[in-house]
Formats: sequence, structure tokens, C-alpha cells
Amino acid sequence: MALAELVQYVATGLLVGGVYALMSIGLALIFGVMRVVNFAQGDFMMLGMYLTYFYAISGSIDPLLGALLTIPPFFVLGWIVHRGLLARVTGGGDPQRQMDAQLVLTLGLSLVITNATTMILTPTPLGIRTGYATQAFALGPVLLNQARSYAFAMALVLAAAVYVFLTRTDLGKALRASADDPEAASYQGIDVRAMHGLAFGIGIALVAAAGGLLATYYPIEPTVAGNFIVLMFVAVVLGGLGSIPGAFVGGLVIGLVQSLTLLVLPFQLQNTGVFIVFLLVLYLRPQGLFGRRARTV
Amino acid sequence: MLTIASLGVSYEGLRALVDVSLEVGAGEFVTIVGPNGAGKTTLLKAISGTVPSETGRITYLAQDLGARRPSERAALGIAHVPEGRRVFPSLTVMENLELGAYRRAAHASRKLALDEVLALFPILRERHRQLAGSLSGGEQQMLALGRGLMARPDLLLLDEPSQGLGPRIVEQIFETIDRIRRERRLTILLVEQRVVEALELCDRGYVLETGRVVLAGRREALLADARVQRAYLGA
Amino acid sequence: MASRTRGWLAIAAVVATGLLLTFAVQERYHHRVLTLVFLWAAMGLAWNIISGYAGQISFGHQVFFGIGAYVTVLLVVKAGLTPWVGMVVAVGVAVLAAVLIGIPTFRLAGIYFGLATLAYPLIFRIVMDWLGYQEVAIPMKREQPGWFMQFNEPRSFDLLALGVLAATLALSRVIETSRLGYRLRAIRENEQAAEAMGVDSFRCKMAAYMLSAAPAAVVGAVYIHAILFIVTPEAVFGLLVISQTLVVSLVGGAGTLWGPLIGAALMVPVSEILDTTVGDRLPGIQGVVYGAALMLIMLYAPEGLYWRVRQAVRSRAGRGGEAARSVIVAPPADEAVASVATQTVLLQVRGVSKAFIGLQALSDVSFDVREREILGVIGPNGAGKTTLFNVLNGFLIPDRGEVRFLGQPVTGLRPSMLCARGVGRTFQVVRTFPHLTVLENVMVGAFARDAAVSRAGAAAMAALARVALADRAEAFPGGLTTLELRLMELARCLATAPRLVLLDEPLAGLSADGIDVMIAMIRRVRAGGVTVVIIEHTMQALLRLADRLIVLDQGRRLAEGAPGQVTQDPGVIEAYLGKRWLARLAAR
Repeated sequence: MALAELVQYVATGLLVGGVYALMSIGLALIFGVMRVVNFAQGDFMMLGMYLTYFYAISGSIDPLLGALLTIPPFFVLGWIVHRGLLARVTGGGDPQRQMDAQLVLTLGLSLVITNATTMILTPTPLGIRTGYATQAFALGPVLLNQARSYAFAMALVLAAAVYVFLTRTDLGKALRASADDPEAASYQGIDVRAMHGLAFGIGIALVAAAGGLLATYYPIEPTVAGNFIVLMFVAVVLGGLGSIPGAFVGGLVIGLVQSLTLLVLPFQLQNTGVFIVFLLVLYLRPQGLFGRRARTV
Repeated sequence: MLTIASLGVSYEGLRALVDVSLEVGAGEFVTIVGPNGAGKTTLLKAISGTVPSETGRITYLAQDLGARRPSERAALGIAHVPEGRRVFPSLTVMENLELGAYRRAAHASRKLALDEVLALFPILRERHRQLAGSLSGGEQQMLALGRGLMARPDLLLLDEPSQGLGPRIVEQIFETIDRIRRERRLTILLVEQRVVEALELCDRGYVLETGRVVLAGRREALLADARVQRAYLGA
Repeated sequence: MASRTRGWLAIAAVVATGLLLTFAVQERYHHRVLTLVFLWAAMGLAWNIISGYAGQISFGHQVFFGIGAYVTVLLVVKAGLTPWVGMVVAVGVAVLAAVLIGIPTFRLAGIYFGLATLAYPLIFRIVMDWLGYQEVAIPMKREQPGWFMQFNEPRSFDLLALGVLAATLALSRVIETSRLGYRLRAIRENEQAAEAMGVDSFRCKMAAYMLSAAPAAVVGAVYIHAILFIVTPEAVFGLLVISQTLVVSLVGGAGTLWGPLIGAALMVPVSEILDTTVGDRLPGIQGVVYGAALMLIMLYAPEGLYWRVRQAVRSRAGRGGEAARSVIVAPPADEAVASVATQTVLLQVRGVSKAFIGLQALSDVSFDVREREILGVIGPNGAGKTTLFNVLNGFLIPDRGEVRFLGQPVTGLRPSMLCARGVGRTFQVVRTFPHLTVLENVMVGAFARDAAVSRAGAAAMAALARVALADRAEAFPGGLTTLELRLMELARCLATAPRLVLLDEPLAGLSADGIDVMIAMIRRVRAGGVTVVIIEHTMQALLRLADRLIVLDQGRRLAEGAPGQVTQDPGVIEAYLGKRWLARLAAR
């Protein structure tokens, strides 16, 4: 197998990984600040894809812009979902019970969203047609699909924006403080419950935007969440639960693993490598690459 | 400034505080001492709002703190330096300090407060880019104190600042507290296990045992009280 | 034990009701719903064994369901083997899978365990796809339909499903009333305390997992033959299976065999009827119903309907039922403080060091504990006292150094092993099993010495009597005072028949009277032949109690000796009480 071919797979994997990274950052933020494993993350992404499609059909808005335009409405949606649902599930005070209860809650939410969408919208896959989805940039012997390249670039921009927000703004620092120690944060006058709403809103908005970017080259259907939720989980665990940079790196790695798996396995089994990585991480280094807490019994 | 009347608190299913009443006047330095499990930390948490009170009232600056959430109480000018320091480990020293001035009223004077705190604790200026989690215990205590002072509080709640620290650092910390008190005329409510240091610094004190106030008085009276000596000084 | 027979009678009543329904129901469609109710109840009960009793929430239990389906069907297809035998093979495979999955996965704590369980069904789906088994249909066997579980009469499937349910109910009941059942609940309530009481939590979880896999496999096998007839990876390893399992168990209530019964009886007919009536116009209605059910139950009754109703009934009936508390026990006559310690060294600690990030918690600590002495460990907060106990007890492995008990090296053994060898422990903040009665709490300790439930019960009552708490046996820890809780924890520890007990600040939070009672109890414990090592924060109490004292400060052993000696040691006074105290002492 030629080196050029390998480089091609790596390049494609990284491009795809960029979008995975954006999806995963949202999940990591939600877990880091709220200790919630949001099983419905993929479903919000799916809704983001549909909204982007709607923008494209009704306003002729390019999906790359449409993805950005999903951010405000989904931020609001995330805030409402947090206030209305997550903030009310406490599991009786015990943190472990609470995490389990919220995982069940988000699982239920995921079921409702996926199935309600199937009921209301057509299950036929939809696609957005753009000029660049079928074009590619040539970088030497390597071909980079244009849609994926633009999506990758946008994902990087958004991720960078999140990073700047978290490290340079007071609100971002307050978010990180709430993740570190909610009680101490409240002593500084930080409204931790509002921080949770903020984190959830941003997390949902990010994944919806990622969905919009994905829609530039991936078919849109109600069940699309199932294909990606596992990838997101693995990326976040690989990077270290709660670490934003970790989730970003994790997303890129997962994209790579998925792509390289195609060297040896057929398309239906492309996630095999991802699962192997998942199990390896859980058994060998549960805290992931950048994780803060080591978990052993 | 702060009045607590007949406070009753249950914490984790147990009656942690029973019929506790105390007062802290503006500019006073009041200390609360007592054995482990007496409810001293619970008392401070009830003032800050992280633990709900069942019965009784907490009045601060003539306002009933009652239903106010913790973040609101901090906004009123109450700074709580918690037991075990509780700095934000993944944030830098500077970020920790900046967050101390999170409340809006303090935000305007943040730069000034920062200069003052760094002058008070020069080691923090030296380590300002370091992650707070990598500081030593004494440095973290200084950071926690500095963070509390950044809020330019009117009432400072200090929970066992000496815990887990070596004798020399404890000396330093108490000297600094004394200095802060004298220079800024802060109102301070101090909870401590090191009874002598606490009693020597304060104006008045309360002794808490199993959730109840068993003794109260001015400094000299408490230091001379036989009960205090026997219980905590093992005489 | 009247309640035990009552439980079995109740199960018999449920099975009888099921039988009644089977013969009363006429329509073919209704039979299908009945079969589904029985099967999902059984599946919920299976899940309940590991996730309800033991509290290890599994999001991947459909693995065993799918194994049951695939193995039985493949054996019919490839080997012509009757599913009646194939089921047994499937159970074997499922249990084996449980072992292989459990060994690595139970090492993971908290949320990681749940996340890992999500991965396994996905892996199985991929494997089945890869092996080419995307669709395996059960071949028709017209000649011997019964032999191949292909009944014509729908009632036969009902009876089969009811049989599976009855067997799973029986299994659950047996577990509930056995030592394993108590231990699983202890693990769920407070795993660390359970370990300290001699419960090997890994072994118990593995046992529960294996026991929960077997019925799940049987359910899968029957489900395929009764309902689906074609096995696809999506159908048996997919999300809908685990969703249905969760709904049935969580809506009804986990941790009891009534929960899945209620959940199935309620949710299955609802979703089936909706599916048949509007399922064509609204595909996915089942998913919406299940999702909504999960969300609603987490919001409004996370413990489940069974527990919620029971609590409501109890509080209505039981108000005013709190019997007048017995007056605080008057302590027996003060025993002589003179040491009765022998010279035999029971516990040897040598050079123990332990560091955490940024903190040297223990530094080269060495001392001996002699048989039948009361040794006090004292020092300021943060000195490393509890860390020391955690090392002695097995919760922590020291970086350096060695611990020997009865001459045998015990460094690094898990707490349950140390308990088995005779080291008992109480905790600084009392760790109860909140949903177990006081008696049941103590029984968990008693089980360290005896497997029989009745004998453990008797031993527990005896331990409670020793601490004068026998009249609170049927109460729950939530209703106890601090003193009573500490006494309960002491009784639970004593029930493990230890030779040495580590008491971590047993006097914290007690009034002066309570302290007197506790001190008297501790003296009684020593008089009974048990060696006591006790951590305390205030000098005063230990001066009355301890034969010898060890002072820790900043992780180091600062002093050792008789109480009177140690309190005069200037180094101790400075470190523990403060330099200023020394100055005051000198000035007086």
C-alpha cells in the first residue's frame, strides 16, 4: 500500500475528526460543569441538521452559514431543557444516583426526540446540495473533499471560539470554577445553577452547529444520532471526562481511527476500531489523556 | 451587622445546630471554637446559604437572609473562605483571585483589590500563573484568603484556616489575619480548632458543643474560663 | 420468620393470577400482550438483580437477551437442536459472557461502569453483522412443533412465558432472602462500609451479574420463538430492548421484585395497544411512550411507583408510631483504667508512608499495638490519622512500609480480607445502609462469620444487646440520634467478631452524656477481649480512655507513651495545642 494512500486516509480521518471534535466538545462541557452524561446529544445534533436543511431550502442559506445560525435557537433550547428537565432531577442528593438518574433522563429524552422526529418528519434521508460537496482540493497526491474541508475549518473556528470564551472571559472562568468546585464557586457569588444552564445551552448549540456542518456531506435522517453518539462518548472518554481540549483531541483521534479501520475492514464495520479504543481506554487509563480524576475501585 | 436567632439546622439527617443565637457587630472579630462535629462549619454554611436552615433567622445588615441563594448572599458582601481552602485547582492563581471579585460591586475595584492582595501575599504574585492545584497547603490557604479579600467584603467568614498546616505557616496566617483586621477594619467571624490563637485574636467568642452554644463572652473571660481550658487544652 | 412465607405466598398468588389470565383471555392478540407482559417482567427482574439489588446500573443488559436469542436459534438452524436444550446452552454462554464482561468492567467505578455497559451490545451487533448473521429465521418444524417451541396454540406461549416469569420470581426471592441479597444491598447503599464489614464486593457483584444473565438469556430465547421468529442484531441487541427493560424496572421500582411486575403490567399493554392502534400512522410511538415514561419517572418518582406508594402508605399509618426513645443508657460502673494489655503484639506498623498529590499524608510511621490495650491516636486535623486507618484497614496501599497482623503481612489486602482476619472498623462520619433496618445493618457484619440468615440475625441481635440498642432493631438509621448511630456502627463492627477494632473519632458530635456512654461501651468492648485503636481529636476524652497514646502531626509520629507523659511533651504541646498555649502554661 502506497504511502500516498495512507496519507489520504489520515487526511480524510482528520477532516472528519474535526467535526467529531466539535460534537464532543459540547458533550465534554456538559459533563465537566454539570456531571451529566447527555445521552440525547446526538439527537440535538440531528435536529440541528434538520434546521440547517430548513435554512437551505427556505432561505437558500449555505449550510456552512446555516450551521452558525443554529447556534442561537439551540442555545435557548438547551437552556430551557436544562431548566425544565435536568435541573429538576436530583436523584435524591447522592451524586452517583444523580448521575444515573440523569443518564436515564437523557436516554428517555433521546428516545422521545428520535421517535417523535420519525413520526413527524419523513424517514427518507434528505440531503443539501452544494456546489462544493462533490469537489475536492488537491494537496499534492492527496485529495481533500471541499465540503469536509470547509466543515473542518469551521469546526476549528468554533472550537477556538469556545476556548477563548472559557479562558479569556469572566463568564468562562466562572464556568470552569463551577466545574472544579460548585460549592466554592457559590461562595464567590457565582450562580451555579445558571452556570449549568449556560453549559448545557452552549453544549447543545455546539453539537447542533456540528450537525449543520455534517449536513454538508452527510444524509439527514431521524436515526442519524445513533451513528454518532457512540463516537462522541468515546472521544470524550478518550480525552478525559470533563476536559475540553481532551475532547477535541479525542474527536480527531476517533476520526483517524475510524478512517484507518477502513484500511482493513469493510464500511459496515468501520466503528470496530472505535470500540476497541473505547474498551482499551476504560481498562487501561479510565481518566483518559487529559483527565483530572483517576477512577479505580 | 450579623444576627443569628434560634437557628436550627439539620445536615445529612442529623440535627447539626440546635437553637443557636449569636451576634457579630460591625468591625468586631468574633471567634467560634468547639470540638469536631460541634457544628461550627455547618454554622458558617448556614450563613452562606449552602446549607438550608430549618428554624430561626439569620439577619445581615437588617435583611433577613432567609430565602436568598448563596450567590445572592455573596453579592451582599459576605465572603466565605471555606474549610480546606477549596481553591479552584484547574485555574491559575490569577484566575482564582479574579473570580474572588466576581460579584458586580467588587468588579469595579478589581484592579485595586488585586494590588492590595498581592502586596499582602507576595508569594501569590510570584506564582500567579501557576495552577492552583499545584500549590502547597500554605500557599493555597493564602490564595483562598486572598480570593476572599478580593470581594472587598464587609463580613469575612473564615473556616479553620489552620487546618492541615505546619506551625510556622499557621503563625504567618494568623499574623496576616490580625494585620488585615487592623488595617481594614473588617468584620470577621472565625471558626478554629486552635483555640488559643483564635481566642487571643478575637474580641468575643462563642463555644459550640454538639450544635449548641454552651459559652459566650469576651476574650479574657473565655481564656480564663476553666471549662474552656479543660475541654480543649487538656488541663 | 412470618414475612418469608408471606413473600412466597405472594409470589404464588401472582403466578396463580397469571394462570387465571392465561385461561380467561380469548383473543390471539391479547395472548400476545400477556406473553409480552410476562416476558418483560422477567427481563426486568433479571436486570433488577444486578442493577436494583446491587445498584450497578447496567445499560447493556440486552447482551444476554441477544445471546439467548442467537444461540438457541443458531443451534436449531445449524444442529437441529431443540431449543429446550438450546436454552440451557444459551444460559451457559450468557453466564460465561457475564464473567468475561464483568471481570474488567466491575473494576470501573461510578459512571464509567455505566458507559462501558453501553459499548458491549454495540460490539455484539458488529460481530453478528461480521459473522453474516444479519437475519436468522427460525425454520418451520411442522413434524414436531412442541419439540421446537413452535406452538399453534397461543396459550402455550403464555404458559411458557409465565413459567419463565415464575422461575425468575423464585430466583429473585431466593436471592433477596439469602446472605448474598443482604450483601448486595449493602454494596448498593455504601460499598466502602460493606467492604469493611467483610463483603468482597467484587465477588458479590460478579455473582449477581452471572445470576442476572441467566434469566435474561432465557427471556431472549423464548421471545424469539414466541414473538419475533427472526433474529436480527438490531432487534435483540438494540436500544429498544434495554429501553423496555429500564422502563419496566424503573417505572415499577428497582430493588424489589414487585417493581418489574408493576412496571410490566402497566407499561407493556399501554405501548402495545398504542402500537397496534396508531402504530401505522405514527411509527415510533412505542419509543416516544417509553422515552416519556423514563423522563416522567425520573422527574416525579425516581425511586419507582412501588416505593413511592409504599412510602405514602407508611407515612400515613406510621405517624406517631415512633416509639418513645429509651432514655440514654446509664453507663455501668467505671472500670479501673489500669491497663490489662498483654505483651503480645497484635498489629505491627513499620515505616508506613503515603503521599497524595501535593501532600505527604504519612511519613515513616511505625508503632506496635498490643493485645487488649486501648491505643489512642491523636493529632490535629489533617495530621494523617484517618489516612493511617485507611492503610491499616485496606482502603489504601502505602507507598512504603509494611503492616503485619497476627504476624502475617497484610499490607495491600482488601478491606473485606482484613475483616475476615479480624480487623474491624468504624468511620469518622457514620456510614449506614440507610434503606436497611438497624438489625439488617448489623446482620451485614454478622454475615462475615456465618452464612445462614437466621444465625446471622441472632448474632446481630446479640451484638445490639451488647451496646444496649436492641429495642431499636426494627428502626431505620434515619430515625436514630447520633449516639444511637455510633452504637449501631459499633455493634455492626462487633458482629464481625474482630480481634482488633479501629474506631475513627467515635465521640465526634456527641454530648457530654453521650461521650460517657460511648466511653463505657468502648471499655466494655475491651473487657470482652477486643483490642481497640481509637482516633480522637480532643485530648480530654482519650485521657480517660487510652492506655497509651500516639501523637501524629503532619504525617509523622511525634510522640508515643502514657497519656500523662505525652500531654507534658513540649513538642506535642506546641504542634498540637500551639506555641502560645505553651507560653501560657509557662506563665501560669
